Amino acid sequence: MALAIRRTSDILCAARWLIRRDCRVLSTLPEKAEISQEVVVRRPAGRRPIANEAVLESRHIYPEFLPDPNPDWRNSLREKLERADMLKRRSQIDIPEFYVGSILAVTISDPHAQTKTTRFVGICIERKGCGLRAEFTLRNVVDHQGVEVRYDLYDPTIQKIQVLRLEKRLDEKLLYLRDALPEYSTFPFDMDPEILPEGTPVPINPVQVKLKPRPWLEKWERQELKGVSNIEEHLKGKDRIRRELRKTPWEKYDLMKQYRKTIPIEDQSEIWAEVHNQLQQLQLSRKKMARKRTFTAPKPQLG
Amino acid sequence: MASFNLKNICISLSKLRIGHAVTRSHSNGPRYRPPYWFASKERVMTNDYLTQENKQFVEEVMKDKMKVQAELESPLANNGDQSIQQWAPTTRRVGVIARKIGNYPIWSKDGKKMLATLLQVVDNHVVKYIPPEEFKPMKTCKVNWREKRRLGCLLVGSETIDPSTVTKDYCGLFDSVGMLPKKHLCRFMVSPEAVLPTGTPLLATHFRAGDYLDIRAKTIDRGFQGVMKRWGFKGMPASHGVTKTHRRPGNIGAGGEKARVWPGTKMPGHMGNRWRTLRGVKILRINTKHNVLWTLGVAIPGETGAMCYLYDTILPLRKLKSSPPFPTHPPADDLPIEYYDESIHPYDNPTVTYEEA
Repeated sequence: MALAIRRTSDILCAARWLIRRDCRVLSTLPEKAEISQEVVVRRPAGRRPIANEAVLESRHIYPEFLPDPNPDWRNSLREKLERADMLKRRSQIDIPEFYVGSILAVTISDPHAQTKTTRFVGICIERKGCGLRAEFTLRNVVDHQGVEVRYDLYDPTIQKIQVLRLEKRLDEKLLYLRDALPEYSTFPFDMDPEILPEGTPVPINPVQVKLKPRPWLEKWERQELKGVSNIEEHLKGKDRIRRELRKTPWEKYDLMKQYRKTIPIEDQSEIWAEVHNQLQQLQLSRKKMARKRTFTAPKPQLG
Repeated sequence: MASFNLKNICISLSKLRIGHAVTRSHSNGPRYRPPYWFASKERVMTNDYLTQENKQFVEEVMKDKMKVQAELESPLANNGDQSIQQWAPTTRRVGVIARKIGNYPIWSKDGKKMLATLLQVVDNHVVKYIPPEEFKPMKTCKVNWREKRRLGCLLVGSETIDPSTVTKDYCGLFDSVGMLPKKHLCRFMVSPEAVLPTGTPLLATHFRAGDYLDIRAKTIDRGFQGVMKRWGFKGMPASHGVTKTHRRPGNIGAGGEKARVWPGTKMPGHMGNRWRTLRGVKILRINTKHNVLWTLGVAIPGETGAMCYLYDTILPLRKLKSSPPFPTHPPADDLPIEYYDESIHPYDNPTVTYEEA
């Protein structure tokens, strides 16, 4: 059967070829005219669907859904399985939207604690990792001692992640809080969550911290930090000279470097198309819960 | 008598031939001798100057063939319970060819994080069986062949490819059993009871979650490397008057009687791209839809995308204790999508909590 079909198709092909040949001979039009028409027809079909702006916005809310851009480590099936596992975990625990600079309270199961749970409050100073490896670091000062705890975002021992204050800071990472005065990273453990009205953009806290005098853990003066106010006080002449020497102002024009560091928009829109619906549903259920909470909260105050 | 003498002379002469001596050390493997059934695969691609229509026609034929290949039914599904052999601890099953597709963390039920490597079993089919009587491999070293002759050779291929991209000889290997050529071909030594008919698909369900594997693969090719990277030497100090020798090996031997470089001295050279076997790797989780195995640890040789061969382990304490799917798991539609080892916390289970003691 298949052979017969092939044969007929072959004959058809030959016939078409002959007809085209004849036309070419007969017609006065140049060959290109036909081709250009075809191209015009094809273009709209071949164009990729324009990514929805709202969908692409989720790359800021859920940055860990984008894979590591290193091409040596990428594999579409693994990324798909990983995303499915992330959504499975998200269906069990509400992982809220938060950023570097937000203040979080994390409750985990701890076999060594007396109540078998531990709660830690702190400011998120770093957020990194892709997929199930995503992690964040909380910092607080407890009894005049700086404490940092690193959590895996998808660790099944995490019972609850609560955002006490949702805000951003001026920098991508707040590692300089380690060398700043302790009041900038001190937060009480009994903080009340601040609820933002719905639809407001995430506020940016323009606070600039004061650094302690040297020695520092890193050369902060070379990192072009916006959230530090007194960095010039602690610098000597040689530090300023070396900072100038180490500057790489050309890097912002290095398009290839930028491309290698990021996931292209075509890949992103595919990823978000896959997970956006489920994430949206999770977000809706979270909003419902939040509304319930706001209605129940005033009652004891009245009574 | 004369013929006997002649035979003797012939034997002694054949022993004298130059290529006969086999020298082996831990760093130089045996010379590559292809097995007799193996035909060279790579083909020099030529421009055939095909017209567009002819190209389309060839593609069409290829599509049809691929479709027929994909729709082939497993011979196991048909003959049912006719010839089921019993598994015994001494029988050796066939292995599978898998691709390493990356790693990510997985948590145990007591809340411990471990890294798992994902291995995808890609389009595996049994190609051919060579019974132990006919299987006469080229001898590479002294092995007790009396023991080995009890095992047959089962050829397994993975990933169907376009026959026009490989040589005619290689295609003929598959054509003789009515299959399309495969990209990867591997031989597995199996007991005669564990024989599978040609065309049987091998799936991830060939193994069970909780079993242990031996994984054979090529290590990452690192090229020509110095002594510090290749053998972990310490090198020389970076400063304190040291010049021109920071990453060099230093002394490679004493003088006197042994005034030469001893064989096996650790020196710079090519690193990686060698066959290595990692034994006793535990299977944590199996996905039956995409045929993916999650295995414990990140020490499986090769980079992401490398092919590896999976066998049942031979380690005495981790060997199979109960009967696995034997000779292999027949393809079925009503399987659960995921199998987990009992120590693993599935991601859709509720949060891990500890009870108060």
